[in-house]
Amino acid sequence: MLEAIGWLATGRSIRGASRETLVRHGADRAILRAETSITDKQDLIEAEIPVVRATRTQLNRRPIRRHAEMAPALQVSVFSPADRRLVEGGPAERRGYLDEVLVERSARLEAVVNDVEQVLRQRAALLRQSGGKLDPSILTTLDVWDQRLTMSGTELVVARETLVEKLEPLVSESYTHLAGHFEHVTLTYRRSWTGELVDALRSAREQDVRRQVTTVGPHRDELEIGLGFTPARTHASQGEQRCIALALRLATHDLRLQDALEPPVLLLDDVFSELDPHRSAALVERLPSGQVLLTTAVDPPPAVGAHRVVEVARNSLLGRFSGQ
Amino acid sequence: MYVGPLRSLVDELGRLPGIGPKSAQRIAFHLLKVESEDALRLVDAIVAVKERVTSCTICFNVAEGELCEFCSDPRRDGSLLCVVEDPRDIVAVERTREFRGRYHVLGGALNPIEGLGPDQLRVRELLDRLSDGEVTEVILCTNPNLEGEATAMYLARLLVPLGVRVTRIASGLPVGGDLEYADELTLGRALEGRREVDA
Ligand SMILES: [Zn+2]
Repeated sequence: MLEAIGWLATGRSIRGASRETLVRHGADRAILRAETSITDKQDLIEAEIPVVRATRTQLNRRPIRRHAEMAPALQVSVFSPADRRLVEGGPAERRGYLDEVLVERSARLEAVVNDVEQVLRQRAALLRQSGGKLDPSILTTLDVWDQRLTMSGTELVVARETLVEKLEPLVSESYTHLAGHFEHVTLTYRRSWTGELVDALRSAREQDVRRQVTTVGPHRDELEIGLGFTPARTHASQGEQRCIALALRLATHDLRLQDALEPPVLLLDDVFSELDPHRSAALVERLPSGQVLLTTAVDPPPAVGAHRVVEVARNSLLGRFSGQ
Repeated sequence: MYVGPLRSLVDELGRLPGIGPKSAQRIAFHLLKVESEDALRLVDAIVAVKERVTSCTICFNVAEGELCEFCSDPRRDGSLLCVVEDPRDIVAVERTREFRGRYHVLGGALNPIEGLGPDQLRVRELLDRLSDGEVTEVILCTNPNLEGEATAMYLARLLVPLGVRVTRIASGLPVGGDLEYADELTLGRALEGRREVDA
């Protein structure tokens, strides 16, 4: 069910599942349909997911071109145990987290993110064609791509840094609440270069041409997360890392509320199985207002005031019980 | 599925851009059904295009004969040169009815992924055209996407030192349309570049 809602909102599996596993065994396609209502606005979202061929999604019976068009009708933010990778995974996970938030907040920044990716691909192709040699014809076009990368890359990095500044106090606050004691979570954005990007690209050029990769730029930056001033990636326990990951998700949620944006539907995918009862209870208490759907393989904390409970066993709905 | 001539017709149609197997089949059966005369008119048009339409030897626009309609028209202003990626872009500029200069078709934009560098585009030919000093302004009219912008930037670096005036088309909101239909990117840029309104 979380998959279905996630799919309607984002056009992909929130668990990264393949098409075959999304479609019922033996069927050739899955059909999803949802009615949403935000204040007094009602929308109908429908999707068809065939095992092969292109998927189709309609908003109010009109096909959409990009999933961003779905945003006014349905937005989700997903919490899952896999989020721990934001803390213990590589830098790409954390850059991806920041860019996801930026894209959600601005179509212009979405274009900047795409520009940076495309310039890096073009630059990589050019470096490969150079065959490791700096001849003049490669150099003049390399100058142009470097200038493009500097424009979009600098804009992206400034946006990431501004975002990190806004997120840091929110993350600390959420973490303190979840952990039950005060703890300072620091977020530090580290650029992979100093000074102007265009100069850094020029100094790294010889190395870039030899190794045929771009060694400085927004794709090499790091968001360092510290817990009580030690690096969380290497020094925090698994439990602390999970807690930081949850705090990161809660912080982006709070940021949306600060900006008076419609809160997305929260999808909590089996998060309680990984948390101790104390933290589970704290999470439930801390959940922002808005609609929350959660799945759990263990008993949810007593504080969960579920509106409706659906019990699932061996892939079939056992029964429905209405709570308070 | 089909044999002989019908099969090869379906195959050939399917090779055309934007035509999938289903459309290819539908067009093939349509041609099978219509009067010979109507089908042969299509054949004639294709033959005529292949035999008579060439590339202009000066600007590389499509032409019938040596020169295209703009290069052979003496009323066109030879001091203004509009650089485009593709002959189809000339059609778009002509629709403005504003531009009275001449054109230069690059044949694409810088795109290392597709193997397009300056040597694959008609950049040298552009420089040759500027050597006699007749052209005083070059308008860079490449697409407003990443590759088009990079190409404009590259050409500007090449042309400015030659002492020619180099300009770039501005990108903005489409005029005469509704804001509602403007794409979010153009609108976002327009918001970013907003100006004070004089009272
Ligand atoms: Zn011509």
